[in-house]
Amino acid sequence: MAKTFHLEIIATDRVFFSGEVEHLVITAIDGLLGIMAGHEPLVTSLPTGELKYLVDGVWKYAAISEGFIQVMPDSSIILADTCELPEEIDIKRAQEARERAEERLRQKQSIKEYYETQAALNRAMNRLKISQKHFK
Amino acid sequence: MPNMREIRERIGSIQQILKITNAMYLMSSSKLKKARTSLECTEPYFYKLQSTIESVLEHTPHTRQLYFDRRADIPEDKRKKGYIVITGDKGLCGSYNHNILKYTDQKLDEAADLDNCYLFVMGQVGRMYYQRRINSGKKASVDGEFLYTTQNPTLYRAREIAELVLEKFEKHELDEVYLIYTDMINSNLQEPRTLRLLPFERKHFGKAADGTLKKLPKASFMPSPEEVMNYLIPQYAKGIIYGAMVEAFCCEQQSRMTAMDAATTSAKDMIKDLSLRYNRARQAAITQEITEVCGGAASISE
Repeated sequence: MAKTFHLEIIATDRVFFSGEVEHLVITAIDGLLGIMAGHEPLVTSLPTGELKYLVDGVWKYAAISEGFIQVMPDSSIILADTCELPEEIDIKRAQEARERAEERLRQKQSIKEYYETQAALNRAMNRLKISQKHFK
Repeated sequence: MPNMREIRERIGSIQQILKITNAMYLMSSSKLKKARTSLECTEPYFYKLQSTIESVLEHTPHTRQLYFDRRADIPEDKRKKGYIVITGDKGLCGSYNHNILKYTDQKLDEAADLDNCYLFVMGQVGRMYYQRRINSGKKASVDGEFLYTTQNPTLYRAREIAELVLEKFEKHELDEVYLIYTDMINSNLQEPRTLRLLPFERKHFGKAADGTLKKLPKASFMPSPEEVMNYLIPQYAKGIIYGAMVEAFCCEQQSRMTAMDAATTSAKDMIKDLSLRYNRARQAAITQEITEVCGGAASISE
């Protein structure tokens, strides 16, 4: 078995995961990033996206919305707004959120509102994508 | 001899108030249960966020990032200070609002110049309080459009507040930002607390295990410290504000429950006391009547 490191994923509403993992793949702001035990100290932020980690030879997937990660050689901490397993995603809610956001994007808005709506749309699309990909 | 009717009326009015306080007690206890669970879910995030940011700042290399700008060129008493204050929406919750407002007043008194203090007050009670203060001549401007309730905190609201404050900081409308909220130490002990949100300060030295100061190793930032901080700091601000909102809401419900419980108990005590006095007065009246009847009968038979 490969060397493991301690990973903690903490969302605002719960401790999503805490335990030993062998490999972690995250989407950072400038692309995919794989982390294994003994990684150099690193800090980077995570946009809305997908996350996967290897526990006992099984890949686990999760949808994450905005957060950041602190990597230390023997442990990593991810702090995020929300984090969900594919099967936990409420498809209906995400679809509604997407429609709402698309509707709002068609209206005239200020730049700030536009960015907010875009971020909301992004979160909804991400949820839908991950739930379709890993949970059918 | 107290009037019987007066006592009866008082008992009646106390019973009415007892009904209200009891209902409020029941409502706040069910709300507290909800607030407690959300606090328990958020607390790990809230504390981890603070400790992680602390350790991140220890490993941050020198950066010219916007939010690290300490505005060193502005003298201490000219800096514009922003305070986000979380109060309750309603009264009748013991000393909760009183404590946080008194604490904020203390902070404002410490500030060099009240004209440079800007208040962002969440919750109706605090808003009213500071509006009244402005009218009575004491200045510390309150943002009139900052209308947020403290009921059922959401991440969405926290995000809006964080964005507003960060924008003001970027535009140099604020130079320092503090967050004042009530911290729940345990269910009986609550304390107002201040957290500094902005600007960020990089730590040059940390305490080593043996207690001596040593230079900290720097972590790498992908793609660059500035870029990461651009994302990380709004994220942090949002998380901290959300955590503080959850914490404060739970405190409010807790103190309302305690206050209403105390009010119900003392109302019950008063009713007990008054009904004793009422019965005594009634008994006295009856005794007097009997004496009068007996006296009347005796005088007739003679």
